[in-house]
Amino acid sequence: MKRKFVLTVLGVGLLVAAMLSPRLSQQLRAESNPPASMKLKVGDPAPDFKLQYFDGNDLKDVSLSQYQGKKNVVLAFYIFAFTDG
Amino acid sequence: MKAFQQNLQKLEAADTQVLGVSMDSAFANKAFADSIGVTFPLLSDWGGDITRQYGVYLDKYKAPRRINFLIGKDGKILELQLDNAAIDPTKIVDACERKKLNR
Repeated sequence: MKRKFVLTVLGVGLLVAAMLSPRLSQQLRAESNPPASMKLKVGDPAPDFKLQYFDGNDLKDVSLSQYQGKKNVVLAFYIFAFTDG
Repeated sequence: MKAFQQNLQKLEAADTQVLGVSMDSAFANKAFADSIGVTFPLLSDWGGDITRQYGVYLDKYKAPRRINFLIGKDGKILELQLDNAAIDPTKIVDACERKKLNR
């Protein structure tokens, strides 16, 4: 009877330990937060592009390469026009 | 985008060009720029090719996620800011000014 009690305590203990183990909790965190899996990281060359904007009269081309060696560029992606941010 | 506009002078003084990018049409972006007083170009990535190339396309929204890339004069990425952090340009302004001082 006593032995059964000890085994049960041991079993529950192991279960709790498994739940608290860093690897498992990491997995759980990864599932609750979609991974910020970025294709590009700091230090990578930024892919060149050529896009257009409308200046009120004409469509103007803008490429990343036109700034190379001249200016830093902030490329600010936003979700939709007419939203905050 | 408004926050960048407020810091535009500082950024320009630090040799930095600000470009907004979304998958809206160039004309919608111009109307958006006018409505919030943005004077830097808002580029139209119609179809999302560049958004995908930069790996920032979100299926859920069929649009890019909110993200800033600071790209140096050598064409390499200096800073990345994601989602909510991307709305406050202070860090980018600091990085640009720091770079200017270090040059």
